[in-house]
Amino acid sequence: MVENDALTFGELLERHERELFAYAIRLSGQRADAEDLYQDTFLAAFRAWPPPRRGNERAWLYKIATNRAIDRERRAKRVVANVEDLALAAPQRDDVTLLDLAGAIEHLPAGQRAAFVLRKVQGLGYVDIAVALDCSEEAARARVSEALKKVKAAVA
Amino acid sequence: MKMTMDVALMDARERLLSRAKREGLTTVGYDLLPSPLGPLWVAISPRGVATIHYGEEPSPSELRRLVRVYGPGIVPDHRRSSALARELDQYFNGKRQTFDIAFDLSGLTPFQTRVLNATAKIPFGSVSTYGAIAKRAGNAKASRAAGGALNQNPIPIVVPCHRVVGSTGALVGYAGGLDTKRQLLGIEGATTAQRR
Repeated sequence: MVENDALTFGELLERHERELFAYAIRLSGQRADAEDLYQDTFLAAFRAWPPPRRGNERAWLYKIATNRAIDRERRAKRVVANVEDLALAAPQRDDVTLLDLAGAIEHLPAGQRAAFVLRKVQGLGYVDIAVALDCSEEAARARVSEALKKVKAAVA
Repeated sequence: MKMTMDVALMDARERLLSRAKREGLTTVGYDLLPSPLGPLWVAISPRGVATIHYGEEPSPSELRRLVRVYGPGIVPDHRRSSALARELDQYFNGKRQTFDIAFDLSGLTPFQTRVLNATAKIPFGSVSTYGAIAKRAGNAKASRAAGGALNQNPIPIVVPCHRVVGSTGALVGYAGGLDTKRQLLGIEGATTAQRR
């Protein structure tokens, strides 16, 4: 077993919930939807315990959250981002503005939105993004790049 | 902004943990309790208090014992710790001499369990010796092993291993530090052990 892997649900939660909650807000754009997504993600993780990728439970959680967000959107069809809710999770360390985010949320399909947020807001590396999106690293780069193009076009 | 996020997250966590509990995914609740001896990390199992640890995080061996017995469903839970918190508070304020709350020694060896059960019977305000405890645990010659078992006591204070001293009355040792042992005996008025 990899040292530092969470032994308990509590450890998993305390280590990653803040980041995953912020991701859920950024992905869904709504606090209520984000809370559901956060709950569904961790419940699914508890049910599927132990993490299949020892040493990379963070990417595993992102993968669960991303898949759930995409499923949810397929069912719900339309998402209207609430800018105030987005502000809850305003990124503090990069140059992505709320406007960019809102644009991304409104214009990107769920898979590309996840790629964009994982890279540009959550700051994940491509290895982890590939795990989260269940694709190759190359495909992850392509999706982020495609998403970026669309975001730039959307806010231009 | 950070506050708002924290509040939203706390709400979401409460609801998540209720759902996990309803699904039977959680087993043990833990919490961090303030005390005059510093923060205590405590865990409550279905059978009672399973861990009281001096410090903000349990030791890996304590956590492994809980996981071995109860699986990974060990989660933060303020509500479950409230009875213990109240009794500890009363104890530290001189308003309680015995703990009513059940304790849980699951996962320990039979010898450790006998040593700790014998220790739990030492009355408030008095002390016993490692030899006497070893004898009560069924092996009069095992005072050193009894010391080892007491050093690994997962539930100090409630199982009062601080009341066990050397045959000369010396404090000898305590997992929470000798100062802590002295303070606990001080609360109980059992200061005789320090004189020699």
